[in-house]
Amino acid sequence: MGERNPPLEKNLPSFWGGRIFEGTIWLLLGLFVLYPLFRLLLLVFSGDGAALGNLLRPFTDSYARRALVNSLILALSVGTLGTALGFLFAWGVTRIPLPRGGRIFFSSVTVLAFVSPPFTGSIALTLVLGPGGILPELLHLSNFSIYGFPGTLLAETLTYFPLAFLTLGGILGALDPSLEDAARSLGSTEGRVFRTVTLPLCVPGLAASFLLLFAESLADFATPLVMGGKSFPVLPTEIYLQITGMYDLRGGAAMAFVLLLPALGVFLLQRHRTNGRSYVTVTGRETPPSRRVLPSRRVKWAVLGVISFVTLFIFLLYGTILLSSFVKVWGVDNSFTLDNYRFVFTTGLNSITDSLLIALTATFFGTLLALSVALLAAERKGKRGGALEFVSLLNYVLPGTVLGIAYLVAFNSGPIVLTGTMTILVALCAFRYDAAGIRAILASLRQIDPSLEEASLGLGASRLTTLRRITLPLILPAVKTGMRYLFTVSLTAISAVIFLVSVDWSLVTVRILQAMTELLFAEAAAFSVVLILIVFTAIGGINLFFRLLFPSGRKGPGGDTLSHGQVE
Amino acid sequence: MKYLRFSSGEVLARIIAEKDNPQVDVFFGGIADAFVAGKKEDVFEPYVPKGAEAIPDKYRDGEGYWTGVAIDPICFLFNASFLKEHNLKAPDSWADLLNPAFKNGLLMADARTSGTAVSRLFSLVLALGEDEAFAYQKKLDENVQQYTESGAGGALPIARGQAAGGIFFIVDALEIQQKGYDVVISYPKEGVVYGVEAMGLIRGAKNPSVAKKFLDWAAGPGMQRIYEEKKINLIPTHPEVSLENPALDMKDVRLLDLDIEWSGENRKRLVERWVKEILR
Repeated sequence: MGERNPPLEKNLPSFWGGRIFEGTIWLLLGLFVLYPLFRLLLLVFSGDGAALGNLLRPFTDSYARRALVNSLILALSVGTLGTALGFLFAWGVTRIPLPRGGRIFFSSVTVLAFVSPPFTGSIALTLVLGPGGILPELLHLSNFSIYGFPGTLLAETLTYFPLAFLTLGGILGALDPSLEDAARSLGSTEGRVFRTVTLPLCVPGLAASFLLLFAESLADFATPLVMGGKSFPVLPTEIYLQITGMYDLRGGAAMAFVLLLPALGVFLLQRHRTNGRSYVTVTGRETPPSRRVLPSRRVKWAVLGVISFVTLFIFLLYGTILLSSFVKVWGVDNSFTLDNYRFVFTTGLNSITDSLLIALTATFFGTLLALSVALLAAERKGKRGGALEFVSLLNYVLPGTVLGIAYLVAFNSGPIVLTGTMTILVALCAFRYDAAGIRAILASLRQIDPSLEEASLGLGASRLTTLRRITLPLILPAVKTGMRYLFTVSLTAISAVIFLVSVDWSLVTVRILQAMTELLFAEAAAFSVVLILIVFTAIGGINLFFRLLFPSGRKGPGGDTLSHGQVE
Repeated sequence: MKYLRFSSGEVLARIIAEKDNPQVDVFFGGIADAFVAGKKEDVFEPYVPKGAEAIPDKYRDGEGYWTGVAIDPICFLFNASFLKEHNLKAPDSWADLLNPAFKNGLLMADARTSGTAVSRLFSLVLALGEDEAFAYQKKLDENVQQYTESGAGGALPIARGQAAGGIFFIVDALEIQQKGYDVVISYPKEGVVYGVEAMGLIRGAKNPSVAKKFLDWAAGPGMQRIYEEKKINLIPTHPEVSLENPALDMKDVRLLDLDIEWSGENRKRLVERWVKEILR
């Protein structure tokens, strides 16, 4: 583990290191990331000369500055808390000897939390935690108010921690438990094992998930809109209000560019933190199956307690959505009805099939893209790789509303016209939500001993064969993470697509938004339940696909140790 | 005909971004001040629909950039059991909302998000005068639980008893009442303004003749009767359309006429003042 491995030799024949390949990736990123951003900048400066003032507003205007500071505090908190919670879930699933059903159960809970259907998710949270909600009533907290920083933090953490779980689950799964066992049998206390072995080896995964959650929170305008209350402004929400409420498209878009700065900062920090260290734990060497020394009971129960508590809370939230979807008018007429589902499958069927088609296509291309960018960035160390990594992250960092407008402006006129097509929706999803896959794959690649690939190449296998037979199976959990994320978010995201759905291509989430504005909460809840079912089916499908494609899966050293650690 | 449905602000942002290559022909049902803002961005084409002369002048743009098809007054919406519990009658004055019984119990739309909130702001400015309106809202702030992101957003929590009451467009207030929730609708005696639901032709529309036909139809009594048939609680602007629903009868309500042009010019300033003085 600790030893430094020599970097991959540069003179090896390389397929994905080839110039044509690299050029293609840059061309695509240029077209779907840099070009829209450039057109947006042009739009910002096309106005009456107030552009510079608008760009700098988060620094000059005291209210906008407060919003910027709040955004940063929120994003840092969500990044930390969400990564910690995701780590606990991942540790619980991979390190506590749960029955297989238990592992699947906890993994499913994170999927559920992740689907977080737009609007109904927040409504459920206010029903449970809001004034007069289920929990405050139960605990007799009459003056308890969830709105503001705590509510926003809670809602965002609950929504985004599954992303940390997915990233870290793969990392922890691939981390040979015999290392921890060795430390334990040498007499290390549980805390020491954790501090000196487990945690340090997870740094790439922790850094990746922190970065993802930080960016996710920085771009989220919808959660603070519902949960922020009246004294907690954040920048993405201010931007949204500026554009749609103040009818100030240029001013709002201008403010969004400021959000790129903190994202760049955190990106550089995590690069700096993980560069130059080795986290290799997946080597070709056979480790003799060690006698498993299980983590102490106290730790086990503590972790199990925390994740069970969070699980209960998530069930409470989604239970309210499920119940609402089956009653006529909640609180007035609680009789059972299937009308809401009839509504979904008659008037909403088109939007469901459209959404599915777009999510599937985006998942396919987005996964290819994530793999290509990650492999290329891993090989191009230094500035070139860094630039590639950062550019691929840009769309992810911008608030959805702003990105949607950038795409609309870029592809509605000029050399490439794509508005009104399915392509623009797929491109938006693929080039935005590939970020999780890229981060996860990069973190996973850092665990693999390059000598494995070198051995394969040295034995005469081609680059492509090595990729297919050695590298790909080893980074499979990370690829799966990327695919699940892509599919789920492509299906459930709304802020960016609002500006890109067209009369021919509608989406389920837009239907939910419409139902909410028409006060049809029960119908919106039914749409949400259908969305959740689709996501679960799709994730089952993705798992099945991989089981058929790579029957052996990622096996760690020591054969079966990792089947124990697989995240379902 | 195909359509997309979004809030006025989102539609306007889209239309401005699509200006060089418009994707739609008509903007229908947006609040009039969005049209005033769009007129400045040069995204609308003046067109007076056939027969629109019958619609009173105050519901139409003088240059034909937009035509109002319905109006939507502001009202109070309160949870009936909350009022009963606290022995209160439905508020009938702006001052009633300052009652400490409502502390942390009112839901209002954020002035920057929705037509509802801007209309509330204009109502207060017209009814009380600008400076008094802001002094009043500062006091009112103590009773506000949350400023919601959409005009209708607060209606459900009020209906379910999570908040005492709030200020809404009548279309949303009646909608929630028709669902069966026990809520009370009332009006302040000082008067309220109303939102004008308007429509207009997009500059550079790809199908101008069809679009004009649609606008002609929508300005006529035929379309406006559909509102009542489909239980959409708007008040048609066409004088030939009569209303059966007593809840929409405004003869006892003091409606303040808002100069749309003036509101378009002063909206930004008043909303910014609201942010500066109330939110901070």
